[in-house]
Amino acid sequence: MNRQPRALLSVLLLGLIAFMGWRWWSSQQDHADQGTEIVFSDVSTRGGVLTSSLRSEPRSFNRWVDRTSPTVFMSHLMQSTLVRINRSTQEVEPGLAESWTASADNRTFTLTLREATWSDGTPFTSADVVFTFQAIYDPKAGSILAGSLQVNGQPLVVTAPDARTVVIGFPGSFGPGIAILDNLVLAPKHKLQAALAAGTFAQTWGVATSPDQLVSLGPFVLARYEPGQRLVFERNPRYWKKDAAGVVLPYLDQIVLDVVPDQDAELVRLQAGQIDMLQQQVRPEDIATLRPLVDQGKLQLLELGVGTDPDLFFFNLRPERWAKDPRGSWIMRREFRQAISHAVDREAFANTVFLGAGVPIWGPITPGNQQWFSPNVPRYSFSVERAKALLAGLGLANRDADEWLEDEKGTEARFTLLTFRGNTSLERSATVLREDLRPIGIAVDVVALEQGALIERMLKGDFESIFFFFSSSSFDPAMSPDFWLSSGSGHIWNIGQATPATEWEKQIDDLMHQMTASVAPAERKRLFDQVQNIFAENLPAIHFVAPRMYIGVSSRVSSLSPSILRPQLLWAADTITVRSPPVTGQGGR
Amino acid sequence: MGRYLLRRLGFALLLVLVVSSASLLLTRLAPGDVTTEQALVLDPEARARLRAELGLDRPLAVQYLTWLGGVARLDFGRSLLYSRPVSTLVGERALNTAVLAGVALLLATVIGLPLGAYSGSQSRGLGRAVVRVCSVIALSVPPLIGSLALVFLAARTGWLPVGGMTSASGMDQAWPQWLADLARHLPVPALALALPLAATLERLQSEAMVKAVHEPFVAASRARGLGPIQAVIRHAWPVSLRSVLGLYGVMIGALFSGSFVVEVVTSWPGLGRLMYDALKARDLYLVAGCAASGAFFLAAATLLTDVLLAFADPRVRSEEAQ
Repeated sequence: MNRQPRALLSVLLLGLIAFMGWRWWSSQQDHADQGTEIVFSDVSTRGGVLTSSLRSEPRSFNRWVDRTSPTVFMSHLMQSTLVRINRSTQEVEPGLAESWTASADNRTFTLTLREATWSDGTPFTSADVVFTFQAIYDPKAGSILAGSLQVNGQPLVVTAPDARTVVIGFPGSFGPGIAILDNLVLAPKHKLQAALAAGTFAQTWGVATSPDQLVSLGPFVLARYEPGQRLVFERNPRYWKKDAAGVVLPYLDQIVLDVVPDQDAELVRLQAGQIDMLQQQVRPEDIATLRPLVDQGKLQLLELGVGTDPDLFFFNLRPERWAKDPRGSWIMRREFRQAISHAVDREAFANTVFLGAGVPIWGPITPGNQQWFSPNVPRYSFSVERAKALLAGLGLANRDADEWLEDEKGTEARFTLLTFRGNTSLERSATVLREDLRPIGIAVDVVALEQGALIERMLKGDFESIFFFFSSSSFDPAMSPDFWLSSGSGHIWNIGQATPATEWEKQIDDLMHQMTASVAPAERKRLFDQVQNIFAENLPAIHFVAPRMYIGVSSRVSSLSPSILRPQLLWAADTITVRSPPVTGQGGR
Repeated sequence: MGRYLLRRLGFALLLVLVVSSASLLLTRLAPGDVTTEQALVLDPEARARLRAELGLDRPLAVQYLTWLGGVARLDFGRSLLYSRPVSTLVGERALNTAVLAGVALLLATVIGLPLGAYSGSQSRGLGRAVVRVCSVIALSVPPLIGSLALVFLAARTGWLPVGGMTSASGMDQAWPQWLADLARHLPVPALALALPLAATLERLQSEAMVKAVHEPFVAASRARGLGPIQAVIRHAWPVSLRSVLGLYGVMIGALFSGSFVVEVVTSWPGLGRLMYDALKARDLYLVAGCAASGAFFLAAATLLTDVLLAFADPRVRSEEAQ
């Protein structure tokens, strides 16, 4: 046989093999598709394993000193609080305190504890509550919860008249009242008092701690931690909570949190049925990918509502930053920031950054926070002409041949914008802002930085402007004083002021103090509406769009209570149920 | 030979020291530290107290010399992030990475060298062209895309687990079942790492083989009556291995220190992911420990390949002897 027919034969043979391989793969695919169908017959309310993802692994099991997401998620599974804010209804509901009474001045709360035991069988008593406050307020313990359990910068005073009664005294009037205890993660005195006495509380319950030492008051106990891979939680047989029918919760036997650092891989695992739910919201660009599975009934795409922590853009408003910089004469003026707000087409912004899954906003409180949102704050409609007029009022005009404005001294209207490298919505937002400001003659130099470097520059005031995010853990603005008060560590445009740098910041401080001290809901709302108005007039931070939030969950998971706050689903893990597990292909869990 | 080994060992120690010191110093000099993430919820006094507790308020020179003193006693310090000894953390993860790297290297060798020898010994033909095209594709696909494609394939077909090192039930199983479970989790990350390496080996082996088959001693062996395949296997291939084996040291070092993309995508709990997390959080002792580990493996692998090279190529042995 000469070379030409042999080559032809080889090509034909390869083609035949490829065709057979494709046919075989297709048939396997059909079987796999059939295999991943959800079986609805075996519906149960008790038992089953739920697998969820976790984007990073815990650095510590000690919730009192660690606030990273994995530790917070663990805390929701393993801990109970005296009272809790229902993340769905935003109402306060009893926890380990089965009832309470308030004094006439609302400064003293007397709580009656329910009978409960830690997972190791030790009774839970008021001594645990008192010990928890001691630990949190002990400076040597370095608890990150200390700040959120203070009123007017003062700690609460806690006493225990008997084993089932706790009296909590507030140093001043406090609007959120007993809801402040939603932050209180209870510590087992019998396990941790020695560490507190020895000054090693912050180091206890590290990730090397044996799971059997981590006693729980929550619905689950940690059964196993496989570093870098997963956390396995099992039902706490001593959990105190029952459902309406008297069935002891939780319904699930086990929750597995698989560590999946990559968001794309996390999505693929959900699609393959190897995890039941995502731990974070679905990215806008992934919604279309999940739709077919939703249509096939394999997946639920839950709309959680409008996000409550929108990204924000802000200038450095520390006067000393601009003392020797001529640009300070217009950057520090609110008209400049108002011009920027007018120059941005928020609808187009929502379409570009969030692919349409977003709503325009004009302040930090979004429609997702139904209780505190004010629809009447000043709005800056999209108007290039209005923006240009405001800039002209500041003396900014095009004085040379290029496309940018200059002030009277010839300084170009240009600033640097820092943002968080790797965060796609922030990077896109910064680009959209740069392009939107071009038509009004303002030049923006976008620089994406790694998160640690960005925060460090923000804290030192070494920046001109930043596009970033700010997360709150509560709906009630009184629980986020760091953001609103001029002295706060989260007052990111001018952090930790000794006295308010501007008159409007002083007004906000005064109103926030009044609002925090008031116990009348209507009065609190009225005061906070004023705060929002002042904020929107002065725009220390500019908000453009709040994303609509979606989360992907397997169809076999039910009895969910979705919340806009994180963890969106596992905050109520004790009532989640699963149907019998899907029969996946060989790659099943 | 003894002096040569001692010299190489000294070089390896120096490499480990320089790499880990540079990592520690650069991490320390970069903006932010391990307390930065908490800075927005801690008041400045609390943050300063935390920095003091972690020893981050000390001058750079004091911090470095204290760490160096520890390293002299083989104590790489405690991770600021996990409050655990760095050596323990690195040891756990290095073992996981070693498993993955070992399998990936084996796969790359098994795939790359024979294909390279084949394509290098053929002057033309369909088989050679197919091998070259596949190699170019495998070389040009970035590890992120390659691993995502494999993860997607595994998810779509259901043939293999999508990620992780073992199943959730893996720890409760007996050894044989645990090993079988591990074996089912290995192909996706191992192939993601192995395919570009196999392509590199194939290309290198092919080029080396082209040169080797034209060496006079190969022609002489043919003249002595050896068949073409035997001449290639017995004479051309061992000589061509010289340039290929030299690459192994670098490949092993890269597998231990540069596989974090694959480890992140496939959720493999290895050293690369640990170092990435440490870098993000500015855990300087853990960064230094991970870097030291990577440098150690690079130096050890280079040494090992030099020894192997000496066995593979008689000319190297004679050079050493001289």
